[in-house]
Amino acid sequence: MTQDETITTPLAEELGAGGAQVREGTPGDAVGGRVPRYVARPPDTAAAQALLAAAHRRGLATVVRGNGTASDWGAPPRRCDLVLETAALTGIEHAAGDLVVRVGAGTPLADLQAELAASGQRLTLDPLVAGGTVGGAVATGLSGPRRLLHGPLRDLIIGMTAVRADGVAASSGGRVVKNVAGYDLGKLHTGALGTLGLITSVTFRLHPLPEALRTVSAGAPNPETAQRWTHAVLGSGAVPAAVELDWPETGPLTLRVLLEGAEGGIDARARAVAELMEGSGISEGAPAQWGALPGAAGDTLLKAAVPIGQVAEAARLLHEAAQDQGTTAAVAGSAGAGVLLAALPASAGAASVNGVVRRVRAAVEGGVTVARPAPALADAELDLWGEVPGLELMRAVKLRFDPRGLLAPGRGPGGI
Amino acid sequence: MFDEGEGEPRMPQPLTALIPRLREICGDDGVITDRTRRRTYESDGLTYHASTPGVVVLPTTTDQVAAVVRLCADAGVPFVPRGAGTGLSAGALPHSEGVLIVTSRMRRILEIDVANERAVVQPGVANLEVTRAAAPHGYYYAPDPSSQQVCSVGGNIAENSGGAHCLKYGFTVNHVLGLEIVTPQGEVVRLGGKAADAPGYDLLGAFVGSEGTLGIATEITVRLLRAPQKVRTLLAAFETMDAGGAAVSAIISAGVLPAAVEMMDALSIEAAEAAVACDYPPGAGAVLIVELDGPAADVDAQFERATRLCRESGAFEVRTADDAAERARIWKGRKSAFAAVGRISPAYIVQDGVVPRTALPDVLRRIAELSAASGIRVANVFHAGDGNLHPLVLFDDAEPGASERAAEVSGRILDLCIEHGGSITGEHGVGVDKACQMPEMFSPADLETMDLFRSAFDPAGIANPEKLLPTPRLCGERPGVRKGVHPLVAEGAAEQF
Amino acid sequence: MTDSDTAPGAGEGSRSFDDLLGDCVHCGFCLPTCPTYVLWGEEMDSPRGRIHLMGQMREDDVLSEAAAGHFDNCLGCLACVSSCPSGVAYDALIESTRATVEQEHRRPAGERLLRAAVFALFPYRRRLELMRGPLKAYQASGLNRLVRRTGVLERISPSLATMERIAPPLTGAVPALPEVVPARGRRRAVVGMLTGCVQGAFFPQVNTATARVLASEGCDVVIPREQGCCGALSAHTGRAAEAAGFARATAAAFADAGVDAVVVNSAGCGGTMKHYGRVLEEAGAAPEEVRRAEELSARVVDLSEYLVQLGPRAPRHPLPVRAAYHDACHLSHGQGVTSQPRELLRAIPELEVADLPNPEICCGSAGVYNLLRPQAAGDLGERKSEDVRSTGAELLVAGNPGCSLQIASAMDRAGEPISVAHTAQVLDASIRGLDPAVLLTR
Repeated sequence: MTQDETITTPLAEELGAGGAQVREGTPGDAVGGRVPRYVARPPDTAAAQALLAAAHRRGLATVVRGNGTASDWGAPPRRCDLVLETAALTGIEHAAGDLVVRVGAGTPLADLQAELAASGQRLTLDPLVAGGTVGGAVATGLSGPRRLLHGPLRDLIIGMTAVRADGVAASSGGRVVKNVAGYDLGKLHTGALGTLGLITSVTFRLHPLPEALRTVSAGAPNPETAQRWTHAVLGSGAVPAAVELDWPETGPLTLRVLLEGAEGGIDARARAVAELMEGSGISEGAPAQWGALPGAAGDTLLKAAVPIGQVAEAARLLHEAAQDQGTTAAVAGSAGAGVLLAALPASAGAASVNGVVRRVRAAVEGGVTVARPAPALADAELDLWGEVPGLELMRAVKLRFDPRGLLAPGRGPGGI
Repeated sequence: MFDEGEGEPRMPQPLTALIPRLREICGDDGVITDRTRRRTYESDGLTYHASTPGVVVLPTTTDQVAAVVRLCADAGVPFVPRGAGTGLSAGALPHSEGVLIVTSRMRRILEIDVANERAVVQPGVANLEVTRAAAPHGYYYAPDPSSQQVCSVGGNIAENSGGAHCLKYGFTVNHVLGLEIVTPQGEVVRLGGKAADAPGYDLLGAFVGSEGTLGIATEITVRLLRAPQKVRTLLAAFETMDAGGAAVSAIISAGVLPAAVEMMDALSIEAAEAAVACDYPPGAGAVLIVELDGPAADVDAQFERATRLCRESGAFEVRTADDAAERARIWKGRKSAFAAVGRISPAYIVQDGVVPRTALPDVLRRIAELSAASGIRVANVFHAGDGNLHPLVLFDDAEPGASERAAEVSGRILDLCIEHGGSITGEHGVGVDKACQMPEMFSPADLETMDLFRSAFDPAGIANPEKLLPTPRLCGERPGVRKGVHPLVAEGAAEQF
Repeated sequence: MTDSDTAPGAGEGSRSFDDLLGDCVHCGFCLPTCPTYVLWGEEMDSPRGRIHLMGQMREDDVLSEAAAGHFDNCLGCLACVSSCPSGVAYDALIESTRATVEQEHRRPAGERLLRAAVFALFPYRRRLELMRGPLKAYQASGLNRLVRRTGVLERISPSLATMERIAPPLTGAVPALPEVVPARGRRRAVVGMLTGCVQGAFFPQVNTATARVLASEGCDVVIPREQGCCGALSAHTGRAAEAAGFARATAAAFADAGVDAVVVNSAGCGGTMKHYGRVLEEAGAAPEEVRRAEELSARVVDLSEYLVQLGPRAPRHPLPVRAAYHDACHLSHGQGVTSQPRELLRAIPELEVADLPNPEICCGSAGVYNLLRPQAAGDLGERKSEDVRSTGAELLVAGNPGCSLQIASAMDRAGEPISVAHTAQVLDASIRGLDPAVLLTR
């Protein structure tokens, strides 16, 4: 219970005092099965600050939601009294000449990309979950295939404004790409799943849309071959934008190499890459379903981030461990960056999921985590994180940004 | 016990008690107590600020660093990390009553891991050494600050160093995958490793650029990149800075992403000619250096375009370089420019500010106006691709009042950067030098939040104190700043779980 | 003749010590090229730190024990001068500082004796010559008692043993060169040649080769009898008056020789002789004398520099050897001569010439440094010998006898002896069409 009975003003009124629209929560608003008492939509950062300050005073556990496409990522919050919707925190300030954009967190990613494309630019982020908002993408911190060349999402963020649990808004970074003034707090919020604050606006560095795209694809007989090809392509100087591995539950493994660049040089580059991959074919553009998550909605998603020399081993182990646990795994991800996602069907129970992650963790370096548990596993005893190096420091950061533990409690690393 | 010179001030009291322990930890030759020797550490690359360290230690291992820091933490004694001492914001300014922890003896390259495209190094390794070690395998380490042959990788971590090629390749933070750090409590913690996306909060990302206020990096894992197939460089000479600036805009908006875009104005060209006879086209009011690298076919296609755009923007001469020797000739003037200014002026201030690239022409005009109004000459050398200005403010230190006027002009240039939505530092860092200007760029709430973050790592405030964030002692009182643990937690009113 | 615009230390003549100190902006670019910083990683043992110590010395008007030790630790290799973007004249600063140390600093008795012994021995060819032969021979020889009493012999014994190995068998007196070696074929120039002290006593074959190469290229080579030590060893150690004495004598020896150039085959000697003006100024000589010395300096040239400028005439014969070229500090940093020796060597058919890694780092020889700071010198020698090994070379070529000795000695200790030769000897062998085996006598 979070409310004391002494309040004289109705809680909803207090929450809405800063201008946020407040309504009662419904089962459709549930996060990880927790139905919030209220759902509030602040129209701007000031209203969001007032809302969070009120929630803080009242000790309401608050979960931030964009379009809700990734509400099931991370552990379900232990409590959820208030869902804060960012839908009205929109706005795009595009400085095309500077290749920079400042954008409200609630802005749908698709809207942003459409506006940027009109100027021949893009935010180099391949959304893994369709229909999401900018804030949601940043909070989940997922980076798609092109992270290989252009860096993960966090590398594209040059400034951020976020509201702390107590309602104080703080910015870091700025609107210029090159800037080392102050701590880069945007790094902390990226991938923090809303546990350190409400992201209200983000400034990104942009890239020009490439003139030409080619994809070189080949079926690999096994993951070791795919890894060998990856190493050869990376070492060839062809500078691929992405090297993606796709290994469904059953059936063949495919390696796809995406090249971006000037029209005049791209075919020669594609041919050079094709020569490194036996039986490959070249196609124009990026493939359909580019960067899509493996498996189906409702599957349990695992993330394995490993040294690139261990990608084959990780992929093979994910497959084998799933089989040993009586289930299956579909594996896809960046062989070039060493970040794989594996989908275990919704039918896989907690024991199976734990069995798979523990086995892979024991065998490879890096981090193997449960990124999105299947809905049925929301309250299961899942080993989501494994050992998190630096966890004590993370706790210390959380303690200072959200001392009462009100922002998506339990969703943070190690269950913070 | 230690050989203090006659009549020289003694070491501060709390420190003297630590000396025997420090000697046990670092060995006799790893602890410097003698004042004459300590004084050689009084400044980093920014000599304007100087302070003799209380004691200097030269550890060789992580365990030694951790033991020294634990000793400091237990005694409540501040410590300051220092690498090669090349920083330009006095970020390694010693604390007169603290321990200066110098990483210059931690300079082993621990591993060049080609299969995983990683190098693992100790913090005292010079930036360029990483590339030298990787080169035989066909790889290199991308961040290339202009002091790369001397600056240490540990220092690069502290400052999030960039370099001429960061326009395309990003900064140190984009190339560091793993750190072993010693926290201000003396704990050894690993953040990340050879794999990307370490689970949990991105403490690694926030640690890079924290200027030694969150602890000391004692082992660093960096990404190695494949050396580009081809590198081509052009030098274009323009009559005016505006024309040069227009060429930069044209190149960037054409979708060309050069590895580097550097510009020099007439005064800096004059200095470079005086120092190294770089033989740039006579009569140039601006020279632009554009370097493209990558797959050979791509570079060739983009190079033609960049050359054409330079000519269309009014370049009266374009030289191109296709091999290392020709490239070195083009870069010679640019690379020597800072030091070269010493040949045309007895003294100068190197400023570091950033503006959005599109604001460059306006800001350069305003700088010229400032210069004309004050009679203080300003030479401009800058990374045009990302709007990072390095105005060199020239003055004669023998002339009364000149240094004050130069400082005034230098400060006004930073104001211009802030007015145009830029930053007070693009690569030199805040350190002591710009700590008091942080409030011009950030609100009290921003700064307070940064301070909260700092206190998560360093609740006692002993890691490189008085750097990066403004303090009342440095900058005068400022309301609304609280330090340390959130008051609610301190009261016991807040719960964590 | 020399690239005087970029010659290190050029143009500092009239500026004060404090003025020169002020050129340092503390950027630290010198650190990675400084051998003692490479060894110990301490600010005080870097050029930047030493300049700071010089500043302290001026500011406080005190030369502390600590500072004197760090000045003594400097090898004087001048790598920092090459790497300095601000053009700090560290060479002038350290020479002047060393003189101050010599005047004002009282070293411990043992070290004073050692230095006295070294300087009673090294600059004098006759005394050095007495030391040739097996150890017992020179122990029984007529060396003065000081030399024996201080243990200097024990310190230099390993070096002497290596010298003996490298030097040709002692079958009699060191062969004397005639006063003039006439040009072969049409005469193109008349040059003077410095025979030096250590070079003359221990490496007479280098002098012989130098004279032969010059003659083959069409030079009359004038070798004044009355020449002795050029004064470099003394100047580099702060013994200003002694250095000035040697400089005067050397200048006098060549003054009326009627030569176009004074060719020097020892890097350390050439480096000092090009700055005789400064050497005399430091010792308080009269302006007129300084000017005369500068006239000689203007004619001083390194052998490789001279040969490249002259252009080859004598045909080169193949020399199928894998060699590595080592940059002697006083050639590369002191005189800016790096491309010329390589150009000469690369023009020899079938001679492979590898570059060493870390070419800017001193080998630790540094004049008499290896006698005064044997530990540091030994450590540097080991680093250099590792670099030499990494090239797989069978012959190490250098333009300075001390370097050859130092590196050969370090490689001996490591159990992997290597043949060493002076650039002049390699050229000589090629011009004369000798069997490469003559160079490969390890």
